[in-house]
Amino acid sequence: MAPATQFEVSQPPSDVISSVVFAPDNTNRLLVASWDRNVYLYEIAEGTEDATLINKFEHRAPILDVCFGANGNEAYTAGLDCSVKRIDLSSGEQTVLSTHDKPVRCVVYSPQHSMLISASWDHTLHVHNTSAPTSTPITISLPGKPHALAASPSKVVVAMTARLVHIYDLPTLAAALSSPDPSSATITPWQTRESSLKFLTRAVACMPNDAGYATSSIEGRVAVEWFEDTAESQARKYAFKCHRQTAPEEEGGGDVVYPVNALTFHPVFGTFASGGGDGTVALWDAEAKRRMRQYQKFPDSVAALAFSNNGKYLAIGVCRGFETDMEDFNSEGRTKVFIRELGETEAKGKGPK
Amino acid sequence: MGKKKRGHPDVEELLARPWCYYCERDFEDLKLLISHQKAKHFKCDRCGKRLNTAGGLSVHMNQVHKESLDKVENALPNRQGLDIEIFGMEGVPDDIVQQHNQRIITNFYTAQAERHAATGNPPPGQAGGQGPAKKIKIETPEELKKRLAEHRAKVAAIKANGGTLPVPVVPPKAAAAAAQPATVSPVAGQSPAQGASPFPPPQPGFPYPPPVGVPGVPGAFPPPVPGVVPPGAYPPPVYSGATPTPPGGPAGFNLPARPTAGGGVLPQRPPYYNNNYPGGGGVPPPGGPGGYPGGGGASTVDDLVRQGAGGDEIDQLIRAAEQGQSKPPAEAAEKKSKSKDKNMRMVYGDSEVSPEEKMALLPRYAVAAA
Repeated sequence: MAPATQFEVSQPPSDVISSVVFAPDNTNRLLVASWDRNVYLYEIAEGTEDATLINKFEHRAPILDVCFGANGNEAYTAGLDCSVKRIDLSSGEQTVLSTHDKPVRCVVYSPQHSMLISASWDHTLHVHNTSAPTSTPITISLPGKPHALAASPSKVVVAMTARLVHIYDLPTLAAALSSPDPSSATITPWQTRESSLKFLTRAVACMPNDAGYATSSIEGRVAVEWFEDTAESQARKYAFKCHRQTAPEEEGGGDVVYPVNALTFHPVFGTFASGGGDGTVALWDAEAKRRMRQYQKFPDSVAALAFSNNGKYLAIGVCRGFETDMEDFNSEGRTKVFIRELGETEAKGKGPK
Repeated sequence: MGKKKRGHPDVEELLARPWCYYCERDFEDLKLLISHQKAKHFKCDRCGKRLNTAGGLSVHMNQVHKESLDKVENALPNRQGLDIEIFGMEGVPDDIVQQHNQRIITNFYTAQAERHAATGNPPPGQAGGQGPAKKIKIETPEELKKRLAEHRAKVAAIKANGGTLPVPVVPPKAAAAAAQPATVSPVAGQSPAQGASPFPPPQPGFPYPPPVGVPGVPGAFPPPVPGVVPPGAYPPPVYSGATPTPPGGPAGFNLPARPTAGGGVLPQRPPYYNNNYPGGGGVPPPGGPGGYPGGGGASTVDDLVRQGAGGDEIDQLIRAAEQGQSKPPAEAAEKKSKSKDKNMRMVYGDSEVSPEEKMALLPRYAVAAA
């Protein structure tokens, strides 16, 4: 078993990290989006414990999300300036795909359908056909403000305020996009659900095997659910508490509850990692309902997590977390990106008990 | 601490139990202790391998994971050191053993004294005198419901007989104020009422329960004890129906039920008040409040035990450690957490607006003009 190692990226962003992602076709390439208005492209040098900054792409507004497109040379960003942008990572060329009425919170790319979906605080989703970048996107209006978005091979899950969760069927969206008049197509969710978590949803991640998804909330809790709408599948769903600390007695005791900011599934083993405001990352086995690992605490809140496409690396974005009633918030000097190289079986679950 | 409830073991038995140096927990036998130590204190958090000793774990971490172990997991704060090699009961320093034994002995006697106080049994070897207090009888919800049903049937029967009760509405404060003196200076000749009471006779010598905050009873009413009146119920009909009330006498037992505050159950006071003074129904207790034996500062036996053992440093450490133990994701552990959740503090508490939206409003993130 190769020893697990962990190292820090040498030139991290200067402000809060909104997202980290690995390239779909290159295990060593990752993007980090930050509130400092830049997207950072790093590459891990094979066999070494170092990741170097290849390029950074400046935007005019903080970036709330980033994802790769069809390959490791194409990325999409969601900006506070309401625009969804495509970045050519080799030339640095930026093109605006569409503009929302309010800041864009999330973007997600479906490689199976060559579709980009963006979610904005203007209560809409934009579905773009990336093979025809100039075409007008389909707009789907949502009943609530979206806060998290994730795609599986055939579904896309949107988590909104008021605990609303809508699941859309990607083939249906693709069919609507290729219809002669996409803008007139009426699209209804494949499923609408109420979140199993009582508090604001913080993150959503889909299982790579297309079976279900996990959500997390600001109240130190993670829920695992399955797509299949049968009684027994729905009976399998569960939620558990995590990312909490016992407060010292002199402060009145009780639990200090941190938001669970990030969730990501391991592409090979189907286990998942959660990162919380308490600065810890834990690995969970969704099938066996067990915690497999909890890594040593990071110096600050964990804001974003991503596994590389083969599951070899786990990227961890660490920065100051926004807490209730923060007036002068900034994360300068406290933002770090860690890369953990996992041992071969480190993230492998033991299967159901 | 996982002790079996088989009576109360004597102090020798307690001292003979093997216990864990790291967390002060004791076990039925040495095998259990060793498996506890392997699972709780000597388990590698990287790969889950269980080692036999802290030294073994340290070597394992070094060689397999290239990391160094700095403390023993799940140990009490002053017992996390790696310098002492512990295996089962081997290796525990003498002074710690002494300290542990002392603690067991102290706890044992405190608990024993408490039991004697609670049950009213004299300590062995002493003549049975006036026990200070009797064990508080606690009813299960089933028993309560059964008695409630019986009581309702009785009330219905009386109503059917035409013996309806006047139901004066008394504001809570007035009722409480009136009720207090009533219990202190009862009306003579109430004793016969006991016989006709719809409630099972209270135990003689039953102490008036201390009126200290009890969960579920909002107001300053005493905790639920035998003779509980359901919300909305009126005083047992026996007082106005079966007992002749002295004309012009004080409101006394004629008092209507104290209005329920928020649906909590109200205890019925009068019957066992009288029984506290078997000598005569009308003798006021000397010093009024003295009629509440056992009504000290502690509200429950548990509190007393806690107070008794409160000074023990290790006990406090253990208690703190127990509260801080992280639990694996038990599916839907909601129920257990209900009471704890009240105590939680959320680092980010706004369930309507996301942190990102709040950050977006900060001037430093304002969007530059195009």
